[in-house]
Amino acid sequence: MTVKVGDELPTFTRETGFANWNRYAAVNDEFVPIHMDDAAGEAAGNGGAFGMGNLQWAYLHNMLRNWVGEGGEILSIEVQFRSPNVKGQTVTAKGVVTAVDGDVISLDVWTEQQEGTKLAPGSAKVKMGK
Amino acid sequence: MTETYLNDTVINANGTLCSRSVSYPIEASAIRKWAMAAYWPEPAPEKFMNAEYAPEDFDAFAWGPASYESLLDGDDGSVIVRHGINERALGFPDWKFRAGLNGGMNCTYGVRMNVGDVITDVKSVGEYTERQGRMGLMLITQSISTWTNQNGELVKRTINSGIRY
Repeated sequence: MTVKVGDELPTFTRETGFANWNRYAAVNDEFVPIHMDDAAGEAAGNGGAFGMGNLQWAYLHNMLRNWVGEGGEILSIEVQFRSPNVKGQTVTAKGVVTAVDGDVISLDVWTEQQEGTKLAPGSAKVKMGK
Repeated sequence: MTETYLNDTVINANGTLCSRSVSYPIEASAIRKWAMAAYWPEPAPEKFMNAEYAPEDFDAFAWGPASYESLLDGDDGSVIVRHGINERALGFPDWKFRAGLNGGMNCTYGVRMNVGDVITDVKSVGEYTERQGRMGLMLITQSISTWTNQNGELVKRTINSGIRY
């Protein structure tokens, strides 16, 4: 596959809420009140319970992993958690190529909710597989 | 109202090694469950269901380490630490916060994690900064986590940024 600046990655989308978060808490031992309880989430200033940043992190990895293919590698990734992932949102992980240097591809990556608000913007470097 | 969280002790702690943890050997079932949760409700890829290797974001310490060693003088292990940073043992102020959030993550990857791997995690203090936000003065803290496998190969180096207010 020939990669060029501006290429958009196939997205990774999930509807989010307690069904996702509870499953993730069960594997990551992330039973934190702000992710489990609306009152705790509201007290933290987010109007109710909200999802784990780590799960958005996972969605971004899922997107990148799918794109680089077998033998490809995620070299690095960084994100900031800017806006909470609240119940009922549809979260989509997206990416766009910003630079190509040999077999190392630089990307802007982010998660966004259904109205296009970015939840977790960041960047990544990957190496494409065969 | 807190005017600043930062003093010389906090600022100069940047780079201090805090703890060394060693994981239990990574199990195939742990990889499978992790992938099922991360991909739910769609099926996880076969390579993870077959545990050919672990996803990059898999946490080998999610349910606790096999062993833990503090690297800080005065740390008797009695304090529940935040991301491996025992701020009391470091001599930081006894801050009181209303809430804490995950501010961001920055990770560089090395070799993959496989079934049976035993991971060593060395945690250290990163940079502590502060800024005003809509919830008041926020303390932004970095903890640095360096994972190596049983062969001494780098698995990943992660900088976690926490926000408290």
